[in-house]
Amino acid sequence: MMNLSQDVAVDTGAMSKIQVRDLNFYYGKYHALKDINLSIAANKVTAFIGPSGCGKSTLLRTFNRMYELYPDQRATGDILLDGENVLSPRADVYRLRARVGMVFQKPTPFPMTIYENIAYGVQLYEKLRRSDMDDRVEWALQQAALWDEVKGKLKQSGMSLSGGQQQRLCIARAIAVKPEVVLLDEPASALDPISTLKIEELIYELKRNYTIVIVTHNMQQAARVSDFTAFMYLGDLIEFGDTNAIFTNPSNKQTEDYITGRYG
Amino acid sequence: MDWRYFRRRATNVFNLTGSVLATLFGLSWLFWILWTTFAYGVSAFDWSIFTQNTPAPGNDGGLANAIVGSVIMVSFATLIGTPIGILAGTYLAEYGRTRPIASVIRFLNDILLSAPSIIVGLFVYELIVLRVGHFSAWAGAVALAIIMLPVVIRTTEEMLRLVPNTLREAALALGAPHWKMITLVAYRAALSGVITGILLAVARIAGETAPLLFTALNNQFWSTNLSQPMANLPVVIFQFAMSPYESWHALAWAGSLLITLSVLALSIIARTLLRKARMEYS
Amino acid sequence: MEPIHTHISRQYNAELEDIRAKVLQMGGLVEQQIDQAITALVTANISLGESVVIDDTKVNKLEVTIDEECNQIIARRQPAAGDLRLVVAVIKTITDLERIGDEAERIARMAVRLAPEPRPKNNYAEIHGLGTQVRQMLHDALDAFARLDVEAAVRIAREDRKIDERYESVMRQMITFMMEDPRTITRALNVIWAARSLERIGDHAINICEYVIYLVRGKDVRHTSLEQVEKEILGRPLGE
Repeated sequence: MMNLSQDVAVDTGAMSKIQVRDLNFYYGKYHALKDINLSIAANKVTAFIGPSGCGKSTLLRTFNRMYELYPDQRATGDILLDGENVLSPRADVYRLRARVGMVFQKPTPFPMTIYENIAYGVQLYEKLRRSDMDDRVEWALQQAALWDEVKGKLKQSGMSLSGGQQQRLCIARAIAVKPEVVLLDEPASALDPISTLKIEELIYELKRNYTIVIVTHNMQQAARVSDFTAFMYLGDLIEFGDTNAIFTNPSNKQTEDYITGRYG
Repeated sequence: MDWRYFRRRATNVFNLTGSVLATLFGLSWLFWILWTTFAYGVSAFDWSIFTQNTPAPGNDGGLANAIVGSVIMVSFATLIGTPIGILAGTYLAEYGRTRPIASVIRFLNDILLSAPSIIVGLFVYELIVLRVGHFSAWAGAVALAIIMLPVVIRTTEEMLRLVPNTLREAALALGAPHWKMITLVAYRAALSGVITGILLAVARIAGETAPLLFTALNNQFWSTNLSQPMANLPVVIFQFAMSPYESWHALAWAGSLLITLSVLALSIIARTLLRKARMEYS
Repeated sequence: MEPIHTHISRQYNAELEDIRAKVLQMGGLVEQQIDQAITALVTANISLGESVVIDDTKVNKLEVTIDEECNQIIARRQPAAGDLRLVVAVIKTITDLERIGDEAERIARMAVRLAPEPRPKNNYAEIHGLGTQVRQMLHDALDAFARLDVEAAVRIAREDRKIDERYESVMRQMITFMMEDPRTITRALNVIWAARSLERIGDHAINICEYVIYLVRGKDVRHTSLEQVEKEILGRPLGE
């Protein structure tokens, strides 16, 4: 049987927001990401899928240099955000994290009120007057489709919300800083199906204003929300391309095996 | 009925009875002590202990100077021990996690935690009392602070470790510098746990006698001068209990009851707070 | 496309294998219908013709069953990639098979109607010839489906030209007959109707070949010229 498409790298056809070039990542001696090259399209949703330990979360965490918290982790290669190498030692990590927000697997509301949760990040970068901050908090909660549910209880603890609401609060918190890219690390894996759908709907809404990268274990979720899908396996980027193509006619056997449930 | 099941049941009953009896045996001493303290303490309790100073042998009096002295020294010890303890605990939990120096500190701290308090007393006696030339409340406060320190360090570290890592990452992912993450997020999340640790430490030092014998000693009179020896409940109880005078014995019982009740109150508050802390993050 | 039987879920393997097997079973039934309809016409066998008509209800039932199973697989398994294409190809294939069954039934009804009437001299040789060819083509298409044989599918698609040529020549022949002798008009029209049905069966067989290509390669080759298909799928023109 002949190979119709031999090239893993696909021209995403859209404006590129992040370009990853020859990225390698190490946990101590363990080589976790191997020569990754890909391009994240602006104002699109890009999903990373693959079995546990394939490096999809690791790749995501290089985009905002989260890995730096841990002394034995290091990355080599380039990650260009609008052409600027964020891995360069000269790049300011705080500015990077202002531009690239992140939401985690488990909802992580801070132990403070809903209002303070949103204001926390904003205060790191901007000195706003009280009324301006009020507006910003409302705007962020609106964006995260949470405003109607919490507008009467902004003074309540963020921990008092349900799991799905907490996750949207975290998305609002990330958005309040006005980032350009939002990284979502399995944002719905701890949520019930209805909350999951709300998050997915939110992702769809958000891509108009933000570039979104999502890591998910749930292949159907990747199929539902993403425009482009990258399949990773054992630290390699196996296939990257249009989500429609990946889920109907992947060009790589490993990708096909994974998305059709043939992995042992 | 099957023989095997009967045997299992019998073994179960036997073991259960054994462990219940062992528990009762251990607890009975505790209750005996508490009962004695309450019985003698309540009968010796009088409001005058709060208003009158410690008396001369054979006379009536109170414990006012000792109570105030204890409160002063415990407060100063807390003021010295808490910030250092919290900072050290923070270092261990937030900055030094993987560094070898942190495990050395942790090990030494554990030794300090179980060190006999009389050794701490002797240490401060050498360090301050001998150099200054006389006993002082300052030396007492320092000794108590040293005893308090490992407890605060330990609980602060434990409580900060209870704060999920994802919460830290979430704060840092917003672009917060490390110290801002710790002060605004980690401390808030660990707050009730840390306060619990401080309360437990206070409860522990409130009843310490040995270190004070070598440092603050005692004072028969009302004194709030930290540079001079100062009366305090544990040492007064120790001295009065050793004496042959009936009235001193009574005051010693009353003092014991007072300390027991305060420690009990602190423990209850601490436990309530701790439960709240655990509920929030687990 | 990966082999069906390699999923982690063995139940899923069984479900996919089942719809595939049922399609082949349905295909076998339909082939038999064509065969018997033509035999009924040629040999004026009324009972054979009637049995083809009765068989069509079996074919219809099978179509409904397979359809339901496919719906269930989509709802419960959310098939992706090759599996998705298999289910889609099956749904489309059974529609074509059902239509083929209808065409066979039409020929069979005609056979029943024409049986008591006088036979033409050549005993419907045109229909017999065209029918044999079309039946073989359907057989090969189902075979390509069973073996996921893309090359065979492309080759069969090319066969369709021969069917079309033969159909054209039958048409011309019949028109000539009718012009020469108006008494033959009724008979010629019947032959034209039957030939038309057979030609349609050929088109349905081509559709099935296209589904095989879609199933194996994920390429939709409908509305693409044969040369283009050969170039894209085989990377070369098909040698004769």
